[in-house]
Amino acid sequence: MELHVERDVVFPAGPDEVWEALTEPGRLEEWFATEVELDPTPGGEGIFRWGDGEERRAVVREAEPEERLVLDWDDGGEVVLELEEVEGGTRVHVVETSPDFAAALELHALAWAPVR
Amino acid sequence: MGTGSVDAVFQALGDPTRRALVASVAERGNATATQLAAELPVTRQAVAKQLALLADARLLRATRVGRETRYEVTPQPLGDAAAWLVEVGARWDERLAALGRSLARARAAR
Repeated sequence: MELHVERDVVFPAGPDEVWEALTEPGRLEEWFATEVELDPTPGGEGIFRWGDGEERRAVVREAEPEERLVLDWDDGGEVVLELEEVEGGTRVHVVETSPDFAAALELHALAWAPVR
Repeated sequence: MGTGSVDAVFQALGDPTRRALVASVAERGNATATQLAAELPVTRQAVAKQLALLADARLLRATRVGRETRYEVTPQPLGDAAAWLVEVGARWDERLAALGRSLARARAAR
Protein backbone atom coordinates (compact mmCIF):
# COMPACT_ATOMS: atom_id res chain seq x y z
CA MET A 1 0.00 0.00 0.00
CA GLU A 2 1.31 3.40 -0.99
CA LEU A 3 0.07 6.75 0.21
CA HIS A 4 0.12 10.00 -1.73
CA VAL A 5 0.43 13.62 -0.76
CA GLU A 6 -0.65 15.93 -3.55
CA ARG A 7 -0.42 19.70 -3.83
CA ASP A 8 -1.26 22.14 -6.61
CA VAL A 9 0.02 25.72 -6.51
CA VAL A 10 0.18 28.48 -9.12
CA PHE A 11 3.20 30.79 -8.85
CA PRO A 12 3.41 34.16 -10.62
CA ALA A 13 6.56 33.13 -12.51
CA GLY A 14 7.39 31.54 -15.84
CA PRO A 15 8.08 27.79 -16.19
CA ASP A 16 11.75 28.65 -16.86
CA GLU A 17 12.03 30.48 -13.52
CA VAL A 18 10.29 27.66 -11.66
CA TRP A 19 12.46 25.00 -13.33
CA GLU A 20 15.55 26.89 -12.18
CA ALA A 21 14.27 26.92 -8.60
CA LEU A 22 13.49 23.20 -8.81
CA THR A 23 16.81 22.05 -10.21
CA GLU A 24 19.66 24.39 -9.25
CA PRO A 25 21.16 23.27 -5.92
CA GLY A 26 21.65 26.86 -4.76
CA ARG A 27 18.00 27.60 -5.39
CA LEU A 28 16.80 24.33 -3.83
CA GLU A 29 18.63 25.39 -0.69
CA GLU A 30 16.25 28.35 -0.48
CA TRP A 31 13.14 26.19 -0.18
CA PHE A 32 13.67 22.44 -0.20
CA ALA A 33 16.56 21.52 2.06
CA THR A 34 19.44 23.15 3.91
CA GLU A 35 22.19 21.60 1.79
CA VAL A 36 21.63 20.24 -1.70
CA GLU A 37 23.74 18.40 -4.23
CA LEU A 38 21.86 17.54 -7.41
CA ASP A 39 22.62 16.51 -10.96
CA PRO A 40 19.23 17.26 -12.55
CA THR A 41 19.54 14.85 -15.47
CA PRO A 42 18.07 11.35 -15.78
CA GLY A 43 20.19 8.99 -13.70
CA GLY A 44 21.71 11.93 -11.81
CA GLU A 45 22.06 11.75 -8.05
CA GLY A 46 20.69 14.04 -5.41
CA ILE A 47 21.72 14.41 -1.77
CA PHE A 48 19.54 16.55 0.46
CA ARG A 49 20.45 17.49 4.03
CA TRP A 50 18.39 19.28 6.61
CA GLY A 51 19.38 21.27 9.66
CA ASP A 52 18.19 18.55 12.05
CA GLY A 53 20.76 16.10 10.64
CA GLU A 54 18.34 14.31 8.33
CA GLU A 55 19.81 13.24 5.00
CA ARG A 56 17.89 11.81 2.06
CA ARG A 57 19.29 10.52 -1.20
CA ALA A 58 17.50 10.32 -4.52
CA VAL A 59 18.08 9.43 -8.15
CA VAL A 60 16.57 11.54 -10.93
CA ARG A 61 14.29 9.27 -12.92
CA GLU A 62 12.91 11.88 -15.32
CA ALA A 63 13.92 15.45 -16.10
CA GLU A 64 12.09 17.24 -18.90
CA PRO A 65 13.09 20.89 -18.58
CA GLU A 66 10.25 23.23 -17.63
CA GLU A 67 7.82 20.30 -17.64
CA ARG A 68 8.49 17.36 -15.36
CA LEU A 69 10.94 16.22 -12.70
CA VAL A 70 10.73 12.81 -11.04
CA LEU A 71 12.93 11.77 -8.10
CA ASP A 72 13.16 8.26 -6.67
CA TRP A 73 14.04 8.36 -2.97
CA ASP A 74 16.36 5.65 -1.72
CA ASP A 75 13.69 4.54 0.80
CA GLY A 76 11.36 3.55 -2.06
CA GLY A 77 9.23 6.70 -2.16
CA GLU A 78 9.08 9.11 -5.08
CA VAL A 79 8.33 12.74 -5.87
CA VAL A 80 6.80 13.91 -9.15
CA LEU A 81 6.86 17.64 -9.91
CA GLU A 82 4.94 18.78 -12.98
CA LEU A 83 4.95 22.32 -14.38
CA GLU A 84 2.25 23.80 -16.54
CA GLU A 85 2.13 27.32 -17.93
CA VAL A 86 -1.17 28.94 -17.01
CA GLU A 87 -2.55 32.46 -17.17
CA GLY A 88 -0.58 34.59 -14.76
CA GLY A 89 2.16 32.06 -14.07
CA THR A 90 3.04 28.41 -13.67
CA ARG A 91 1.07 25.67 -12.00
CA VAL A 92 3.24 23.31 -9.96
CA HIS A 93 1.69 19.94 -9.28
CA VAL A 94 3.49 17.87 -6.65
CA VAL A 95 2.82 14.24 -5.82
CA GLU A 96 4.93 12.53 -3.17
CA THR A 97 4.38 8.79 -2.86
CA SER A 98 5.29 6.93 0.31
CA PRO A 99 7.46 3.85 0.43
CA ASP A 100 5.38 0.66 0.44
CA PHE A 101 3.46 1.03 3.68
CA ALA A 102 2.34 -2.58 3.88
CA ALA A 103 6.00 -3.58 4.02
CA ALA A 104 6.71 -0.87 6.58
CA LEU A 105 3.77 -1.99 8.70
CA GLU A 106 4.87 -5.61 8.51
CA LEU A 107 8.29 -4.55 9.76
CA HIS A 108 6.57 -2.62 12.50
CA ALA A 109 4.49 -5.68 13.36
CA LEU A 110 7.65 -7.79 13.46
CA ALA A 111 9.26 -5.30 15.79
CA TRP A 112 6.37 -5.86 18.19
CA ALA A 113 6.39 -9.63 17.87
CA PRO A 114 7.27 -11.42 21.11
CA VAL A 115 10.92 -12.36 21.47
CA ARG A 116 11.34 -16.14 21.66
CA MET B 1 -0.33 -7.63 10.26
CA GLY B 2 -0.75 -8.67 6.65
CA THR B 3 -0.11 -6.96 3.35
CA GLY B 4 -2.86 -4.54 2.42
CA SER B 5 -3.84 -3.77 5.98
CA VAL B 6 -3.51 -0.05 5.32
CA ASP B 7 -5.87 -0.55 2.36
CA ALA B 8 -8.34 -2.05 4.80
CA VAL B 9 -7.87 0.89 7.15
CA PHE B 10 -8.55 3.45 4.45
CA GLN B 11 -11.46 1.47 3.06
CA ALA B 12 -12.91 1.20 6.53
CA LEU B 13 -12.57 4.95 7.05
CA GLY B 14 -13.94 5.82 3.61
CA ASP B 15 -17.48 5.66 4.97
CA PRO B 16 -18.81 8.60 7.03
CA THR B 17 -20.86 6.36 9.35
CA ARG B 18 -17.81 4.26 10.15
CA ARG B 19 -15.72 7.38 10.74
CA ALA B 20 -18.41 8.63 13.12
CA LEU B 21 -18.38 5.26 14.90
CA VAL B 22 -14.61 5.34 15.37
CA ALA B 23 -14.90 8.90 16.72
CA SER B 24 -17.69 7.87 19.12
CA VAL B 25 -15.77 4.86 20.39
CA ALA B 26 -12.65 7.01 20.82
CA GLU B 27 -14.63 9.62 22.77
CA ARG B 28 -16.16 7.06 25.11
CA GLY B 29 -12.98 5.04 25.50
CA ASN B 30 -14.98 1.91 24.74
CA ALA B 31 -18.51 1.12 23.64
CA THR B 32 -20.93 -1.62 22.60
CA ALA B 33 -23.15 -1.68 19.51
CA THR B 34 -26.20 -1.09 21.73
CA GLN B 35 -24.70 2.04 23.28
CA LEU B 36 -23.65 3.45 19.91
CA ALA B 37 -26.98 2.65 18.20
CA ALA B 38 -28.75 4.66 20.90
CA GLU B 39 -27.12 7.86 19.68
CA LEU B 40 -27.22 7.19 15.92
CA PRO B 41 -30.13 7.03 13.46
CA VAL B 42 -29.30 3.41 12.55
CA THR B 43 -30.25 0.01 13.91
CA ARG B 44 -28.16 -1.93 16.41
CA GLN B 45 -27.63 -4.63 13.75
CA ALA B 46 -26.28 -2.08 11.27
CA VAL B 47 -23.94 -0.66 13.91
CA ALA B 48 -22.77 -4.15 14.90
CA LYS B 49 -21.96 -4.95 11.25
CA GLN B 50 -19.92 -1.76 10.81
CA LEU B 51 -18.11 -2.33 14.11
CA ALA B 52 -17.15 -5.84 13.00
CA LEU B 53 -15.76 -4.40 9.76
CA LEU B 54 -13.74 -1.82 11.71
CA ALA B 55 -12.42 -4.60 13.92
CA ASP B 56 -11.38 -6.57 10.80
CA ALA B 57 -9.40 -3.51 9.68
CA ARG B 58 -7.89 -3.52 13.18
CA LEU B 59 -9.05 0.00 13.86
CA LEU B 60 -11.09 -1.31 16.76
CA ARG B 61 -10.33 -4.13 19.15
CA ALA B 62 -13.28 -6.31 20.11
CA THR B 63 -13.58 -7.82 23.58
CA ARG B 64 -16.39 -10.17 24.52
CA VAL B 65 -18.03 -9.08 27.79
CA GLY B 66 -20.89 -11.40 28.76
CA ARG B 67 -23.39 -11.34 25.90
CA GLU B 68 -22.05 -8.11 24.46
CA THR B 69 -18.99 -7.21 22.41
CA ARG B 70 -17.15 -4.17 23.66
CA TYR B 71 -15.02 -2.15 21.24
CA GLU B 72 -12.09 0.16 21.80
CA VAL B 73 -9.84 2.08 19.41
CA THR B 74 -6.44 0.69 18.43
CA PRO B 75 -4.60 3.70 17.08
CA GLN B 76 -1.56 1.99 15.57
CA PRO B 77 -2.65 0.99 12.03
CA LEU B 78 -4.00 4.46 11.45
CA GLY B 79 -1.11 5.99 13.34
CA ASP B 80 1.63 5.02 10.88
CA ALA B 81 -0.28 5.95 7.74
CA ALA B 82 -1.85 9.10 9.14
CA ALA B 83 1.46 10.26 10.59
CA TRP B 84 3.10 9.96 7.15
CA LEU B 85 0.27 11.88 5.47
CA VAL B 86 0.25 14.65 8.05
CA GLU B 87 4.03 15.03 8.22
CA VAL B 88 4.74 14.91 4.49
CA GLY B 89 1.74 17.12 3.74
CA ALA B 90 2.87 19.75 6.23
CA ARG B 91 6.40 19.65 4.80
CA TRP B 92 5.15 20.33 1.29
CA ASP B 93 2.99 23.20 2.51
CA GLU B 94 6.09 24.78 4.09
CA ARG B 95 8.31 24.05 1.10
CA LEU B 96 5.87 25.44 -1.47
CA ALA B 97 5.46 28.61 0.58
CA ALA B 98 9.27 28.93 0.68
CA LEU B 99 9.45 28.22 -3.07
CA GLY B 100 7.02 31.10 -3.64
CA ARG B 101 9.26 33.42 -1.62
CA SER B 102 12.36 32.19 -3.48
CA LEU B 103 10.71 32.84 -6.86
CA ALA B 104 9.67 36.33 -5.81
CA ARG B 105 13.20 37.13 -4.59
CA ALA B 106 14.78 35.84 -7.81
CA ARG B 107 12.37 37.89 -9.86
CA ALA B 108 13.05 41.05 -7.83
CA ALA B 109 16.80 40.54 -8.31
CA ARG B 110 16.52 40.41 -12.11
